[in-house]
Amino acid sequence: MARRSALRIYLPLAFYGVFLMLPFLWMILTTFKAREELLNTPNPFWIFHPTFEHVVGLLTTTAYLQWFANTLFVSVASTILSVFVSYITAYAIIRLRFPGWQTVSTAIFLAYIVPPAILFIPLATIIIQLHWFDKLWALVPIYATFLVPFCTWLLIGFLKNIPRELEEAARVDGASNLAILWRIIFPIAVPGLISAAIFSFTLSWNEYLYALVYMSSSGNKTVAVGMTTELIRGDVFQWGQLMAGALIGVLPAVLVYFFFVEYYVAGMSGSVKE
Amino acid sequence: MQRSPLLARLDSPRVLGYVLIAPAAIILIGLLAYPLLLGVWLSLTSATLGNPGTFVGLQNYATIFADPTFRGAAFYSGFYTFFAEAGKLVLGLALALILNRPFRGQRAARALMLLPWVAPTVLSALAWLWLLDPQFSALSWLLIRLHLIKSNIDFLGHAWNARWALIVVNIWRGLPYFAIGYLAGLQSISKDLYEAAAIDGASGWQAFRRITWPLLMPITTILVAFSSIFTLTDFQLIWTITRGGPTDATQVFTTLAYQRAITGGQLGEGAAIAVSPIVLMVILAFFVVRSVRER
Amino acid sequence: MHDLDRRRFLALSAAGIGAAATAGLPAVASAADASPFKPEKGATLQLLRWTGFVKNDDIIWAENTKKFTAATGVPVQIQSLSWPDVTPKAALAAQVGSGPDIIMGWNDDPFVYPDKLVDMTDLAEYMGKNHGGYYDAARSYCYDPDVKRWVSFPIGVTGNSLVYRKSWAKDAGFAEFPKDLDGMLKLARGLKKAGHPCGFSLGHAVGDANSWTHWVLWSFGGKQANPDNSIAINSPETANALEYAKALYETMIEGVSGWLDPSNNQAFLAGQCGLTMNGISIWYVAKDQFPAIYPDIAHAVPSYGPSKQRTTLNNFSSAFIFKYSKYPQAAKEYLRFMLDSAQAGEWVTGMRGYVTPALKQYGDLPVWTSDPQITPYRDVLLSAKFDGFNGRPGKPAAQALDEFVVVDMFADACVNKMAVKDAMRKAETRLSAIYKRA
Repeated sequence: MARRSALRIYLPLAFYGVFLMLPFLWMILTTFKAREELLNTPNPFWIFHPTFEHVVGLLTTTAYLQWFANTLFVSVASTILSVFVSYITAYAIIRLRFPGWQTVSTAIFLAYIVPPAILFIPLATIIIQLHWFDKLWALVPIYATFLVPFCTWLLIGFLKNIPRELEEAARVDGASNLAILWRIIFPIAVPGLISAAIFSFTLSWNEYLYALVYMSSSGNKTVAVGMTTELIRGDVFQWGQLMAGALIGVLPAVLVYFFFVEYYVAGMSGSVKE
Repeated sequence: MQRSPLLARLDSPRVLGYVLIAPAAIILIGLLAYPLLLGVWLSLTSATLGNPGTFVGLQNYATIFADPTFRGAAFYSGFYTFFAEAGKLVLGLALALILNRPFRGQRAARALMLLPWVAPTVLSALAWLWLLDPQFSALSWLLIRLHLIKSNIDFLGHAWNARWALIVVNIWRGLPYFAIGYLAGLQSISKDLYEAAAIDGASGWQAFRRITWPLLMPITTILVAFSSIFTLTDFQLIWTITRGGPTDATQVFTTLAYQRAITGGQLGEGAAIAVSPIVLMVILAFFVVRSVRER
Repeated sequence: MHDLDRRRFLALSAAGIGAAATAGLPAVASAADASPFKPEKGATLQLLRWTGFVKNDDIIWAENTKKFTAATGVPVQIQSLSWPDVTPKAALAAQVGSGPDIIMGWNDDPFVYPDKLVDMTDLAEYMGKNHGGYYDAARSYCYDPDVKRWVSFPIGVTGNSLVYRKSWAKDAGFAEFPKDLDGMLKLARGLKKAGHPCGFSLGHAVGDANSWTHWVLWSFGGKQANPDNSIAINSPETANALEYAKALYETMIEGVSGWLDPSNNQAFLAGQCGLTMNGISIWYVAKDQFPAIYPDIAHAVPSYGPSKQRTTLNNFSSAFIFKYSKYPQAAKEYLRFMLDSAQAGEWVTGMRGYVTPALKQYGDLPVWTSDPQITPYRDVLLSAKFDGFNGRPGKPAAQALDEFVVVDMFADACVNKMAVKDAMRKAETRLSAIYKRA
């Protein structure tokens, strides 16, 4: 039995581990390697002269913590906004069947078709008219444009799986639609909401182009923009600090995920079964 | 319980429906649909940067379809999207199936596997750039040590190597998204179904074919549809690792549109390049919408 | 007046006290009085520039900006971005008519939206008169012959030279760097034989791939376009350049077709590559981080070919002011101040050759001769041509450069083993399409 699980779980898992973790292993190695070791080394997978120089340099000579706080603020805020908006939209589409709901659901999907690499120019006209330029919070509704469609679709799929009997029972007891939305469906939808939130958070965390073009003060830079500004100088890349920054940027997410994933799984299996 | 007339009005599905979709509508119409229409409009004009230009009909489209660079970009965009999606789907589903079983360290494994999806693309692409470097690739070093190859692999210097390398990197980044989506899908399938199947004497594969896969269809459609769009409009990863090179081998719609419109100033033409895959996406959208409605 | 200023500064920096130029504050104030540019009342400025290629650049630039604010009362907010990210930001500003007052952009940026830009003729001519004039390439990048005015103010280039290992060249029989391309090919072959191959990017490296391919193309007399912008790439001269590049490619290190801008720096610093073309960054980084090879690194002015002209392409930066700016006079005064002797002298000195100013006067700064390895970078603009040469600078030239037409032609011939005439024809077709569009 133990051998079977080793063969069917740990072996393929090891394959995934190597593939998915390799760049992170590389980030760790690069973060703690002395500079000259990066180019000349008998074994790239070993650190001969470990150093904290890059981490210290990143934290002391750049505004990394500021960028980090900015990114965190934007990501958390746009996640909350998008998940909330998506939840009520999905509920409306799936349960209320108001006239035109089909058009709305199609339109939401079509929202993705022009890529940001070009959309940022026409969008900029609007950002300027709204006086949102260089305002950090403006990224929250901007990010919602690419988060809401997916989250809505995810939640539509999720809410569909919730048996109607639940709310019908509540309706018999005299609960309003709004009450059902909040008290009955919401708690059951938590796993779906969490996976929507995971999606939203990561996409906001990764975003580069909008943060680059719509923000201008150095105080409003996000991690990705700040690091490329400060640590890529002409054709010289500060590899150690770049990778240290990438690594530190990922660490909190790992911790959060470590707890969330479990909660998400537990909540999900409990909710859909009954 | 007594309700005020206002609340009662609000409780009608019609009114409440519109109220609930209003925030999404405002965000999407104002910040997405409107600029999108502007973008489509741009593609029908001779606009250059800072100059609105005049309406020229489909002329920009005629120009780009006659342009071999554009055709190359269209080819690689499709190639890249297709193989990246296929890879992510198969590997993501397999990973979800593994992670769905109970085993020691499951929680840690689930959290760790998500990492590629969390790391900022710009920075993880830099890590890959280094791993694929013709001189300093740790991958080549390892393969040489294992006596599998004799000299460094030129991952990014040859057209097909570079094309496949970018697909692998894209799979790397997007696989966790599929895995987590499928994991969610697997969790929502009732265990009773498997028990019933086991009583009927179905094998693991049969259970997968008859129960798991059909029930995963809706999530599959959503995952593939959204991921395809993100892959088809991918920019950062390619721009960081190859900039469309070598010799335009890895040029895609977005990188070409960016070059034409933003750095070259031909806004109308760039918009046409960006808008042209819409046809593809509308077809995709059609399938998704239909399949979700059918349920 | 100006001569006095200048001599004073030269004396100061010769004494090795760059920062002591601060002592010239009263002189600065009087220079400001004499300036023809009077900042508007209540003016404030926003500048968008590229992150300095060396940290000293940002530091000194910020200090000088503070001096400007002290002298004029005009606050200046500096935003900096990684250098390839400035172009999209500038494009956005041009499109929406809002953004920073001054942008320090690259190459043809100002030619993409000339009618959005403030006429810079007064500033450009004033500075040219007072600081020894401009190199030809600087004028080409900033003076728009179509609208007959300066649309941008020349700042300078991040220059390119050949970078090689002295001892390895000597082992290959070249105590001096060969003056012509034939000699260089011999050297490259020798280096290859000794296991220290040369390396020149044939990938989409914005700086490195463009600089060397244009150099070789021009050295053989090849050119992208004629002065009337008709396409001239398909020529026997281009064919010779491609044949030469093919021979050179045989001597190169593996993988150059995937090289981006940092690649040659890294291969060179690791001791895997014995000759490349680059900015001064390799040498500069080696000084701090690779002391073992630092003394062995040398720079040479690019060798010449049959055209007998030394020709180089460098990343050129210029500053332009958008018409939406409410304070164009303040912006001009700022640029005048920053590029005036007291400030620019300190700035250029502090960067140790990273940026070669477009104003000829700054070629006299002692920093250029303070180390013989810096000197070749002083002269990069003497031989510089502009992208799209010998056509006109402008949108099509910018687009051809952005789409790597010349680089791809070389890569097609060298890496993809395309016949030389086919590679030329392909480039010709692409160029025709680009020039027809614009």
